Amino acid sequence: MARRHVTGMAVAVLAVAVTAAACGSSGGGSSSSSGGKKSVEIGFQGPLSGDNQQLGINAVDGVKTAIAEANKKGDLPFTLKLAQSDDQGDPNVGPTAARQLIDNSAVLAVVGPVFSGATKASEPLFSKANLLSVSPSATNPALTTLGFTTFFRDIAPDTVQGAAAADYVVKTLKAKKVFSLDDASEYGTGLSGAFEPEAKKDGATITHDSVNPTKDYTSEATKIIADKPDAVYYSGYYAEFALLTKALKTKGYKGILASGDGSNDDQFIKQAGVANANGVYLTCPCGDANSDPKAAAFVKSFEATNAGAKPGTYSGEAYDATNAIVTVLKQVGAGATRKSVATAFKSVDYVGLTKTLKFSPTGEVAGSNVFIYQVKNGERTVLGSTAVLVKG
Amino acid sequence: MGFVHQFWQLTVDGLEIGALYAVIALGYTLVYGVLQLINFAHSEVFMLGAFGGLFAARGLLPAGDTPGGLASVGLVLAGLGVGALAGGAAAFALERTAYRPLRRRGAPRLAYLISAIGASYFAFNLAGKEFGRQNVPLPPLFHNGVVFHIFSAQVTTQNLVTVGVAVLMLILLDRLVSATRLGQGIRAVAQDADTASLMGVNVERIIVLTFIIGGLLAGAGGFLYTITFNASYNMGFVPGLKAFTAAVLGGIGNVRGAVVGGLVLGLVESYGGYVISASYKDVIAFLVLVVILMFRPSGLLGERLGRAA
Repeated sequence: MARRHVTGMAVAVLAVAVTAAACGSSGGGSSSSSGGKKSVEIGFQGPLSGDNQQLGINAVDGVKTAIAEANKKGDLPFTLKLAQSDDQGDPNVGPTAARQLIDNSAVLAVVGPVFSGATKASEPLFSKANLLSVSPSATNPALTTLGFTTFFRDIAPDTVQGAAAADYVVKTLKAKKVFSLDDASEYGTGLSGAFEPEAKKDGATITHDSVNPTKDYTSEATKIIADKPDAVYYSGYYAEFALLTKALKTKGYKGILASGDGSNDDQFIKQAGVANANGVYLTCPCGDANSDPKAAAFVKSFEATNAGAKPGTYSGEAYDATNAIVTVLKQVGAGATRKSVATAFKSVDYVGLTKTLKFSPTGEVAGSNVFIYQVKNGERTVLGSTAVLVKG
Repeated sequence: MGFVHQFWQLTVDGLEIGALYAVIALGYTLVYGVLQLINFAHSEVFMLGAFGGLFAARGLLPAGDTPGGLASVGLVLAGLGVGALAGGAAAFALERTAYRPLRRRGAPRLAYLISAIGASYFAFNLAGKEFGRQNVPLPPLFHNGVVFHIFSAQVTTQNLVTVGVAVLMLILLDRLVSATRLGQGIRAVAQDADTASLMGVNVERIIVLTFIIGGLLAGAGGFLYTITFNASYNMGFVPGLKAFTAAVLGGIGNVRGAVVGGLVLGLVESYGGYVISASYKDVIAFLVLVVILMFRPSGLLGERLGRAA
């Protein structure tokens, strides 16, 4: 009995010692690295694990790059740190991930969430906490109409992308009959909902279908082929689009195959297989930093920060969003609070890499261009912007 | 409606996935026959077999274009072989760590269930950590073209490989259970383990071998699944649940029942996915299970490994 008591006390003492040591080291660490400056955290929320994790990783790497650059410059009254929160791209996990950032009082602004469904589920919490959130990629059109007070996005909504994609598929590629399939998600239905009316207006006939993410697209492929479309447009993410592409090509589908920004990643090519992916069109309201000479400095800095990884879809947007936040932090200065940052962001005017970040009162970015990509020899190549490609 | 036109195509598709369900379902049914226990970690055996086969095939795959002819045959066989071995090894390890210690102590049945679920979580999270948490692709191992038509349906190389290998494995297993000494032992333990042990059957050995046989089948099945759908750390969950359904549908513990159950389930899913919506495919599968069990509570062919094989 006595012995057990002693052990118990020893454990308690040890626990206290460990906690104290942990506090000491973390406290010491931040003050020594910042040279007396206070540290402020920028949050990130997006899918860092799961089937479509690459889209989250692209974005968080962009945030890391911007933070590293800002700290290197050192003209802020504090040191910046990153607080990551993984929502797996899942609307059900979104609020939990958001709360994690909200409960961390060092976080003054958030980049993200990345996916539209998770954004819709998380924004009410951010609005309530007066915490600014700038999504690099949540493109569902309705998001800016739901009364969120601290939500901004530096990417055009899917009304813009869907319409541009429809114009390209119907007018430029001359598809008369289009099969539009979405993944029944917040993002997918938003995109197909913008694509279909525009394609109809352009004179194509549309068959619409909606399938929850699954692995087995065999019967759906049979259905699509039986419909004999000239083109298939998929509104969803790359993990599923890769399997759909595989199933369609296995069954001998020879028509046009296209998808939106959620599928615009090299992982699509890897998972579908080069032979299946070749010729597939991808639309995105995002430019390709790797082939843009103006972005060379960004690409270099990105690779240096992220162990040689190349920027992907949404990396540039996340980088811009972070830089815009940094500009606002600089402006607000040492006494920055969540509220002052969110208020000051409303009037931000920052010339970024992908576009000028200047927002409407609802949080929509001013201008944007939709680009068409095509997979050629296993590589995504930019064909150009729809403003140039679509005529008449 | 298009259904009439697509009927044969949907039948071919349904038979392909159904054959896979049947191969996995055998693992559930064999173990249930011998131990009256649902091995809920079987889906992870399937997943680990799939990764084993995938890495073997990818390692041997020459750079450049899709191979053809003998090279393709060799690659598929290598993938199947390594997949089966990985599945067998996983099933063996599972039996050793999650079941045997409990059996030795005469633990209640529920303890096995918890232990299986624990093993399953451990296995797929380990796979997620090691192989990444997104789909891992397998490059094509053969040229996938239309080989011939049945009525209006296209039959592709992939259909033939999957169904051919699955049917071959099912026939081999049926022979094994009904015509070998080992099969006799399995049936004896299934009928009455105590009596079998009095008659000189080494029950522990039979149990281990039953797990391994189920694992070999699931591993090879996992590789076949990967050819069509890519592999991922959580790939076992849905097919595992479906195969379990197939086993119950045919009559759990019944080898031929598992095959019938798998094929029926595959066909129903394929037709249902087309007529209603691919989103409701899983719902349809489980609806069929409920309806059939309402009228035939012990499954299509009834229980009992001892008699059926």
